[in-house]
Amino acid sequence: MLGQLGASILYVLQPHTLIPLAVGTLAGIVGGAIPGITITMTIILVLPFTFGMDPLQGLAAMTGVYVGGCAGGLLSACLLGIPGTPSAIATTFDGFPMARKGQPGRAVWLGIWASFWGGLLGGLFLIFATLPLAKFAMEFGPWEYFSLFIFALSMVAGLTERSLTKGFLSGVIGLLVTVIGSDPIMAVPRLNMGSEYLRGGFPFLPILIGIFAFSQIMSDVEKIGTETLESQQGLKASLAVSHLKVIREIFTRPVVLLWSTVIGILIGVLPAIGGSAANIMAWDQAKKISKHPEKFGTGIPEGIIAPESANNANVGGSLVTIMAFGIPGDAVTAVMLGAMIIHGIQPGPLFIVTNPTIAYGLFAAYLLAHPVMIGLQLVGVRLFLRVVSVPKQILIPVVLVFCVIGAYALNNIMENVYTLLLFGVIGYLMVKLQFPLAPLILGVILGDQIEINLVRAIMTDSNPWLFLTRPISGILLSLSLLSIILALYQHRRSLRREMEQEVPVAAEVDEEF
Amino acid sequence: MGRDGVVGLLLLLISAIFYLQAQALPRPSLVPIGPGFYPEIVLVCLAIFSLLLIAWDFLGRRTVSGRLPGKAPAKPTAPPRYGMVLNTFVIFSAYVFALPLLGYLLSTLLFVGVLQALLKPPRAKEWVLLATVALATAFVTYWVFEGYLHVLLPRGRWTGLP
Repeated sequence: MLGQLGASILYVLQPHTLIPLAVGTLAGIVGGAIPGITITMTIILVLPFTFGMDPLQGLAAMTGVYVGGCAGGLLSACLLGIPGTPSAIATTFDGFPMARKGQPGRAVWLGIWASFWGGLLGGLFLIFATLPLAKFAMEFGPWEYFSLFIFALSMVAGLTERSLTKGFLSGVIGLLVTVIGSDPIMAVPRLNMGSEYLRGGFPFLPILIGIFAFSQIMSDVEKIGTETLESQQGLKASLAVSHLKVIREIFTRPVVLLWSTVIGILIGVLPAIGGSAANIMAWDQAKKISKHPEKFGTGIPEGIIAPESANNANVGGSLVTIMAFGIPGDAVTAVMLGAMIIHGIQPGPLFIVTNPTIAYGLFAAYLLAHPVMIGLQLVGVRLFLRVVSVPKQILIPVVLVFCVIGAYALNNIMENVYTLLLFGVIGYLMVKLQFPLAPLILGVILGDQIEINLVRAIMTDSNPWLFLTRPISGILLSLSLLSIILALYQHRRSLRREMEQEVPVAAEVDEEF
Repeated sequence: MGRDGVVGLLLLLISAIFYLQAQALPRPSLVPIGPGFYPEIVLVCLAIFSLLLIAWDFLGRRTVSGRLPGKAPAKPTAPPRYGMVLNTFVIFSAYVFALPLLGYLLSTLLFVGVLQALLKPPRAKEWVLLATVALATAFVTYWVFEGYLHVLLPRGRWTGLP
């Protein structure tokens, strides 16, 4: 394993892979730094560029976006008090106060170095856990796969803080989208309304791009011209700092670093929770275990180290889930999954066995993205900050053009662009009607596999009780039920609290899973 | 009936229409399940959750939609510019339908220019920036994707141009 990893690192260091990795990381940092451009949006923008590359180059670029994006969000979080991405929300709690106290460089570089170390620790988990988990998953039969996907879907639907019913409806709508087309076993066309294009079903990438990009973009359009001008003074401050001193500050807080990394990894492994939860939970946990919790929020190093190490470690966890099980850990890995399929790679337990070059190449790209990120930040952090002030009326049309290219370039047919438009409208309406987007996307991604495994299981043995009596399948279905019960309980608790407080707030856009 | 109830009814209608279509799918005699088996399960689930949504709406038991407990009241903000959103969708739709007719370059040039102008009407000198951004977006992306990455972009039936 280590020999293969070493060889992959040397391979990725070659210019033909290192350049896409570096460009992806740069795009991620810049995209992550711009409030309103999420990591998901950035990876969607980078996606069409990968169509012309070989699989590892494309995946290296996307991994770079992921790593860079998680680190980029802290720039505007610390200097403007606005998180560049949802994964940097908690970073604002202490990053911005520290910068305002006259230490912007310390705030930014604590975050960047914490991202670096947290990400590398997450990388260790990625490298050593993926193969054992994949081997475990290879023991699965269709009953176990079906139950695993149902568990993932029920967890995502149940995690929505808003209406539980809408969460499940969103997931079922996602499943319905995959039903349209041809039956995966006998290729009988169904529900395609006579359309030849729909005989093949909706391609999932234009759906993903439409749903996520339009919901975010149109939410920005709603507010265009009405935002108050944020102070840009933070962007002009000096970021000079002693890096050794900053690194020492991080290593003299090993418990915070390690515990936050563990939180990030665990949340990354669970499907569709995302970096924002890792970021916030890590900050919250660091406060709980601190001897001075009252200092959190005033600009202390722990308040930056915890969220930033967690959100980068989360990347490692998400990659484990997609590589070992073929289930995306969040929206970003959902796009990566789409890119893999386009390149003829099927993520899942067999991925690492049948494509070891690409799998270990991905590990290597993930590890190398971190020093590349540090190098880019050292050289260009001031320049990236200028991009934060690009006006929305310029950014929005350009982003939409990239979305069209991404959808069209899939198979060079306009029908994919029409699909993009259709699901863009659906995505925006869902946000306005307060339907969560994550369950729909997971339903679209997993729908075919759920059906294939269900049908295979029944064709192998028509006894439906096998779904419960086979141990792993039974446990997974029980966990699904438990997650629904837990969600119902938390939902009722929220309702009771709401009745006591009755505090309505504006609906929020699901920016990431 | 509230908004959720209307949505629930619409989804219930969709599930009913598709269910009838799924029922009409062939049922093979040699295997226990056919192409309609899974769609019927999904559509029944859709119908059940739609009914739940209607029921919740009818009973007036608002779910936590948009109400996150314990949060401070949001600062008063300007009302969302839904007219702008609608116009953006209209312009984007026009762009999408113009692509196969005019080709990528001309459609993109027009789209980026018009949308910028809609989102923020330019003053005197800002027209230059608007035009520059529109030209740069169209031509740079064309060069990068078609010229360098060999990713084909739409050709125009009317213009014969890319």
